Amino acid sequence: MTSILKTAVLAGGFVLSAAAAQAASETLKTVQERGALNCPGHTGSYLGFAEVDDKGNWKGLDVDLCRAVATAIFGDPSSLKIIPLSWAQRWPSLQSGDVDIIIKASGGTLSRDTELGLQFSSSYYLGTTKVMAHKELGLESLADADGGTICIPAGASQERQVASYAERLGITLETVAIEKTEELEDAYFSGRCDLYAQWGPVLAIARSISDNPDDHVLLPDVLAVEPEVMIVRQGDDEWLDIANWTLSVLLFAEQEGITSENVDEMKANPPSNEVGKMLGATPGMGTPLGLSDDWAYNVIKKVGNYSEIFQRSLGQDSPYKMPRDLTALWNAGGVLFPFVID
Amino acid sequence: MTAIDTGPVPLGPTQLRRLRRDYFSSPVSTLISVLCFGLLLSIGWVLFDWGVLRATFAAEARQPECQAAGGACWSVIANRWRLIFFGLYPYEEQWRSALACVAVIVTMVLSCIPVFWTGKRLTAVWALGFLTFYVLMKGGMLGLLLVREEQWGGLALTLFIFVATAIIGMPLAIAFALLRNSTLPWIAKTTGAVIDAVRSLPLISILFTFAIVLPFVLPDFVLQEKLYRVIAGSALFFAAYQAEIIRGGMQGVAKGQDEAAMSLGIPYRHRVARILLPQAFRNALPATINQFVITFMETSLVVIVGFFELLSSANAAFGTSDWTFAFVEVYVFVAFLYFIFVFGLSRYGAYLERRMATGQR
Repeated sequence: MTSILKTAVLAGGFVLSAAAAQAASETLKTVQERGALNCPGHTGSYLGFAEVDDKGNWKGLDVDLCRAVATAIFGDPSSLKIIPLSWAQRWPSLQSGDVDIIIKASGGTLSRDTELGLQFSSSYYLGTTKVMAHKELGLESLADADGGTICIPAGASQERQVASYAERLGITLETVAIEKTEELEDAYFSGRCDLYAQWGPVLAIARSISDNPDDHVLLPDVLAVEPEVMIVRQGDDEWLDIANWTLSVLLFAEQEGITSENVDEMKANPPSNEVGKMLGATPGMGTPLGLSDDWAYNVIKKVGNYSEIFQRSLGQDSPYKMPRDLTALWNAGGVLFPFVID
Repeated sequence: MTAIDTGPVPLGPTQLRRLRRDYFSSPVSTLISVLCFGLLLSIGWVLFDWGVLRATFAAEARQPECQAAGGACWSVIANRWRLIFFGLYPYEEQWRSALACVAVIVTMVLSCIPVFWTGKRLTAVWALGFLTFYVLMKGGMLGLLLVREEQWGGLALTLFIFVATAIIGMPLAIAFALLRNSTLPWIAKTTGAVIDAVRSLPLISILFTFAIVLPFVLPDFVLQEKLYRVIAGSALFFAAYQAEIIRGGMQGVAKGQDEAAMSLGIPYRHRVARILLPQAFRNALPATINQFVITFMETSLVVIVGFFELLSSANAAFGTSDWTFAFVEVYVFVAFLYFIFVFGLSRYGAYLERRMATGQR
C-alpha cells in the first residue's frame, strides 16, 4: 500500500512542480480571492499540534501557526479553513492546491525539497527523537540499556534511528514495533517494553498524561534531530516570504517582550524603530510583502507571540507542560531566532 | 401440527434428553461443554464488570475518578459524543446532521419493507430521503446556513458515503453484469477487462487516485467536491464486485427460461427485468448482503484522503489530553455503532432469504 501511495504522490508531484512554476506568486492572490487560508488539520488528532475540542474547534501549535498566517493576510484569525489531512496526503494536497501551506509537524528533508518540488520556511520547532524508560530500571542513558526491549512506532523513521544509534553504542536492543500510537504506548506503560523511542513531543506528552509521570524518565540521548518547517510549493517565493516573516514576527515579538496584552502600548510608544516599524507605527512593513502595514500588529494582537502560542499548545498553560528546550529563543538556550527588521 | 405453533415449550423431558445428547453424551464431550461454557461465562462476566458494574458514567468525571472506579470510563462518550456522531460539523448546526441521519435511516428501513418494492415507490422513497439528507446537511437554502462537504463528518458522513455508494453502485453493477453477458464479444470483453482492472486494485489506491491524483489530470469543471469523487471511486469499486456477484446469480438461472421467453417474443428489457434479474438477485442474495456489509465497513478507508468519518472522529474524540487514556471505550462505542448497522443488515438479509425461499418450496 505504501508503495502505491508513494508512486501516486510522486506522480502528482512531478506533474505539479511544472505547473506550479508558471503560477509563481499567485498563491497570495488565490487565497485573497477565496477569502480564507486553507491549512491542514489532522484526520483524528495529533496531541498538542492539532486537536479538536468538545465543540469541534481546532487547537494546537500547528493550528495556531496557521491562524497567524491567516491573520497576517486577512487581519482575522477566523479567515482560516482547516482541512483534515492524513500524513500520506500532505504533499499531493499541497501540490493540487487543496491547501496553501503545510504546517503539520513536518520536517525539511532533501527529497521533499528536491524530488517533491517543495520549499521550506525556517524552522519553527526542533523535533528530536528521544527515548523514555521506566524509572525503576535506573538507567542513566541508553548505553546502560543493553539487552533491553524497546517499543518503536512501526514503519516510521524511528525504527532506523534506533537501530543505527544502538549500533553506534555497541548495544543490542530487542525491538517491538507497533503502528497505532495508543497501542504502542499501552505496550510501554503496561511494562511490555523497558524503553519507548518516539519523536520528542509525542514522547513528552505521553509521559505527562500517563498515570504517574514521575515513574518515567526521558533519557538524555538524542537519536536524531528534525527541524519542523512550514512547507509551500516551489516557485512562489513571495508566498514563502509571508510564511517566513510571519514566523519571524512571532519570534521577534517574543524577543522584544511584545505580547497580545501589551501590543497596543508598544505600538503607541515603540521602544525602538524596529518595533515601531513591525507594528505599523511607521510604514514599510506590509507593502513589500503585499500585506497591510499593520499585519504584524494584528498577528500579535489576535494570536499572540511565539511564546504565547507555545505555552498554550504544549507548554505551561497546556496539560502537557512541556519545556521549551531547544525550541526556545537563542537568548534562552534554544535555536530559534527572528530575522532582522530593518 | 398445531403443537408446533405454540411457541417455546417449557423445558420438558424431551429437551433435557436432547441437551444431554448434544452436549453431555460422553465424558470428553461433557468436559468440553463445561470448559467452553465456563469460558464464555467468565468472559461475559469480565466484560459486564468492566463495562457496567465498575464503569463511570458521569459526564463530569475525568481520569482520576474513572481510574479510581477501575472500570470503563463512559464519561468520554458523554463529553465527546457529538464529535463522534457529527465530526467537524458546526456545533450550533448539529441538529441538522442528526435529523439527516434519521432521514437516511428511515429511508433505509422503509425501503426494506415489501410494500415499497415497486420501482416507482422505491425511487420515490430514496429520492425523497436522499434529498432531505442533502438539503439538511448542506443547507444554503430554506434559511439554513451553508455547510460545505468538507465539514461533514462522523456517523452522518459514514452513512452518506455508504448510501451514495450503494445507490450509484447498484445500477452500475447491473449494467456491468448485463454488458459482460452481452452476445457481442467486444462489449463483453471490454466490460470484463474493466471489471478485472478495478478488482485488481486495492480500494485504498482507488480512493487515493480519485481524491488526490485526478485533480492533476482532469479539468476543474468535471472535478466537483472531493467527497463526490471519493464516492464515485467507491461506487466503481462496489460495482465491479457486485457485477460479478450478479453475474454469478444469472448463471444460476436456466438458459432455457430465456430461450423460452425469446420464443414467445418477449422483448429484451422485459426478459431482463422480469425473468432474469429477479431470479439472479435471489440466487445472489447472501453474497450481495455480504458485499453491502463489506462496503459499510470500508467507508472507514476514506480517512486516508482526509475525511472525518466515524472512525477518525473517534480518533479525534480521544485525541485530547483529557481523554487519551480512554481510547478503548471510544473504540468499543464505535464498534457498537458499526455492529448495530451491520447486524441489522445481516438480519434483514436472513429475513429476505426466508421470504424469497417461500416461492421455491
